[in-house]
Amino acid sequence: MTELLIQHRNIAATLALVAALSLAMAMSLALGTVSVPLDGLWDALTGQGNAMHRFVVQELRLPRVLAGALTGAAFALAGCLMQTVARNRLATPGIIGIDNAATAFAVASVVGTGISLAPSAMALGGAATATALAFGLAGANGTRGYRFIIAGLGIGAIAGAVTQVMLSRVAIDAANAAFPWTVGSLNARSATAVSVLAAGLVAGWMAALLLGRSLNTLQFSDPVAINLGTRLKRVRALSLACAVLLTGLAVAVAGPVGMVALLAPELARALCRSGRVPLTASALAGAGFMVTADLVGRLLLAPLELPVGLITAIVGAPYLIWILVKPSSRSLT
Amino acid sequence: MTDYACQRTPASRALVPPLPVAVFFVLAAALASLLWGAGPVGAVEALQVMTGQGSEEARFVVMELRLPRLATAMATGLALAIAGALLQALTRNPLAEPGLLGVSGGSAFAVTLAILLGASSATMTTLVAQAGALAGCALVMLATRSRGLAADPVRLVLAGATVTGLLLSLTSVMMLADQRAADEVRFWITGSIAGTSLADLVAVLPSMAVAGVLVVIVASPLAALSLGERAAMGLGHRPGRIRALVVVAVALLVGGATALAGPLVFAGLVVPFIARALAGPDIRKTLWLCLPIGPGMILVADTLARVIGAPAELPLGVITAMLGAPVLLIIVRSRRMPAL
Amino acid sequence: MQTSFIHCVRQGLVAGLAMLAISQNALAETRTIETLYGDVTVEGQPERVVTLYEGALDSAIAVGVQPVGAIITRGGQHVASYIREAAGDIAIVGAPGETNLEAVLALQPDLILATRQTSRDQYELLSQMAPTIVLDVPLFRQDTWKQELAGFARALGREGQANDVIARVGHRAEEVREQVTGSIPQQQRDTSLVRWMPQGPLVMSEGLFSATVLASAGFEVEDGGIVKEGRPHSQPLSQENLTLMDQEWIFLATINDDGREALDAARQSPAFKRLKAHSNDRVVPVDGHLWTSASGPLAALAILDDIENALSQQP
Repeated sequence: MTELLIQHRNIAATLALVAALSLAMAMSLALGTVSVPLDGLWDALTGQGNAMHRFVVQELRLPRVLAGALTGAAFALAGCLMQTVARNRLATPGIIGIDNAATAFAVASVVGTGISLAPSAMALGGAATATALAFGLAGANGTRGYRFIIAGLGIGAIAGAVTQVMLSRVAIDAANAAFPWTVGSLNARSATAVSVLAAGLVAGWMAALLLGRSLNTLQFSDPVAINLGTRLKRVRALSLACAVLLTGLAVAVAGPVGMVALLAPELARALCRSGRVPLTASALAGAGFMVTADLVGRLLLAPLELPVGLITAIVGAPYLIWILVKPSSRSLT
Repeated sequence: MTDYACQRTPASRALVPPLPVAVFFVLAAALASLLWGAGPVGAVEALQVMTGQGSEEARFVVMELRLPRLATAMATGLALAIAGALLQALTRNPLAEPGLLGVSGGSAFAVTLAILLGASSATMTTLVAQAGALAGCALVMLATRSRGLAADPVRLVLAGATVTGLLLSLTSVMMLADQRAADEVRFWITGSIAGTSLADLVAVLPSMAVAGVLVVIVASPLAALSLGERAAMGLGHRPGRIRALVVVAVALLVGGATALAGPLVFAGLVVPFIARALAGPDIRKTLWLCLPIGPGMILVADTLARVIGAPAELPLGVITAMLGAPVLLIIVRSRRMPAL
Repeated sequence: MQTSFIHCVRQGLVAGLAMLAISQNALAETRTIETLYGDVTVEGQPERVVTLYEGALDSAIAVGVQPVGAIITRGGQHVASYIREAAGDIAIVGAPGETNLEAVLALQPDLILATRQTSRDQYELLSQMAPTIVLDVPLFRQDTWKQELAGFARALGREGQANDVIARVGHRAEEVREQVTGSIPQQQRDTSLVRWMPQGPLVMSEGLFSATVLASAGFEVEDGGIVKEGRPHSQPLSQENLTLMDQEWIFLATINDDGREALDAARQSPAFKRLKAHSNDRVVPVDGHLWTSASGPLAALAILDDIENALSQQP
């Protein structure tokens, strides 16, 4: 009976998130410097109606909205996986240096060539390098416990310092070109990077769902999880690989928007209190959050645009401080 | 729980052999920072200046550029090392470091805000930086009250890293909004003591002196506090008051150092770590050793920043990050977290 | 001989354009412009021009076209102040490197003039809105601005005016040059162009637009060989190496409209006080937007005015 209620609750939560995401996407397609009336939106999407609306919706906004939804979902899913594996809600890829390293590699390619020349591969390389280093330096027991996290912190600090050096030593034009990258922006995305991300997200999501049952047992202590038949080492390594892939590909599209990885899984957990790891719900929440934040960034100072990473940081700040200072913190255990 | 921690700590060691060695180290580092720099004045010429000879140009570089800079570097290093040692004793966490916990980040954020609101970095007040550091400290202390954070060193650092990341993002927002601020902050934010004048140092000194007095007052009570709250109260100390004094001292020190050199990460981690390794866990001995090692480390880092980066300079923060990250790894790789 | 030939061509073009203007609706003239992304065809006289590059805004206004949209100057809130008045009531469509494509589209442009750093992805979107000109002109050369002006003017159908403008700038440079050579001995014309930072100066390249204008006015711009190949804008310098930028003259750029503040900050530095340009009172504070970010004929004229002013304030 309880099981059934939980099931219903989860389905309701998922549906609500899908509805919220759809609404955010529709708003994002309709609003902007050129506003498209809602009844004209469908025509524009299906290639009919006003030519200007068609161009705005299909060529300018749709790719951006899709990129936002995909990166949001990827960051959130990666965050959810990492939090579960590390048993710590603050242990998201952004915090432990994966974002930083991916950005450092990407910025290196941007400032090195003067124009933004497909930094996608570089970003993925950076994410993988950081994780491999953190693994190696953390010693034998891999992803377990704090060593991995702290090693990642150290690597992230170095990567951040290197990015700063690169930005302070190149010509101002190149530094400006790379700046949206360092805070996270959907303005400079490349179509190739987005399609690679789409493929990666589908693969990562399916892998996460396959790992789902084992991940659920990780919410208990190690002995319990082992008793329930979970092969801890394998599950951890696979989840981590998934998270790295998703983060690297997402950074390649939008730069480091780490807050999404922290906030979206929180929201998903609050909506479906089921004792399961809310993988799909996190991805949906992340997508919706990212699309909304980008919309706000486009509208706030129009015609100038604020990078999406800044909006997520500003929204995330009060929440983060709240979970840090509230006296008995369920969120950190 | 604290008594247990006390039993596990290694025996205290004597101060005598390490302290003179450390003093020798800082003297050597100071000499090196006068001898080498980003410019054409090399060791031989610098030595000639010190013996009263040398060209007018060399004299200027050594006496007017390198010497004030040496003083600034020493003050910065001293402040950060002492602040780190205090914060670690207070939170009983060897990873508690002003940079990692977001105290420097809060300070940098406040300064950027002040520049944005119209203050120029030349007239930037130490007070702003210290207020920011105090806010950062307060957040850390509030965070340690939440369950799980105080007991687990890593969780506190993770929380601090999150706050630091957040503050950096917000600092970026402001830099985006105002290019003049970006221009002034872009170099400072990576940590650097290039271009600080003696006037900047003088502005910071009074608050450093106040912090110094506070440190002298709290050193013994803090050592007692490490035996446990009850033991400290039995010795006539009031834990709440001690903590408050320590927080104020840390805020003064970190704010002062940040006003001088920008947010430097890891300086407050490395120095107390070395000091404890040499002298054992007693906070009083750690503080004594921090006196020479802290300035020495920043001097070495600053000299490297100048020599490697010539004809420009590397940001000091990059060098401290490169020196500090390995120490961070050493600490976490040790079999168990050393208890404090 | 050659000048008179150009003159003839120009006369012809002007006459032709005048005729075109009359019969514009009946017969649209088409021109093909070579760009970085292939040949682009422009018809008739574009009327709604959007410039996504400071040099393009400058060039367009210089040949008598009022663009309807432009980007803000780097670090500013609007177009650079030297051109603010001439630009009139112009719509802002983004910042350097962050173009708001929707704002461009909303202006319904019939020609877009973009920076050389426009990426292919961006170009493809822009070219669906209007013919988009991304000139393939090497940056940081003596004649970069002339080539850009020629290219943009061709797209605008105003090559004749472009030649007039180039001649005007050349004439004005000659005027200022005569004053410079008349009042300053040859060995006192070395100059460096820097931005002052609290940590030390940022030395601007000899190839920077304003540096080439200084050179055309008779100054010898030196960057001490410290701005390296491949990093053609600027290079930060340690205070210990300040002697590397110690020339007879220093043009000190600042991002504020009022250069005084930066100059005061610099003067507090003991290293700066030792520079001979400082002791000779030959440090000239100038507007950083104009001197380190802008380019084009109007910018050249404004910079030449600054130079003339600096001379007149010399004892």
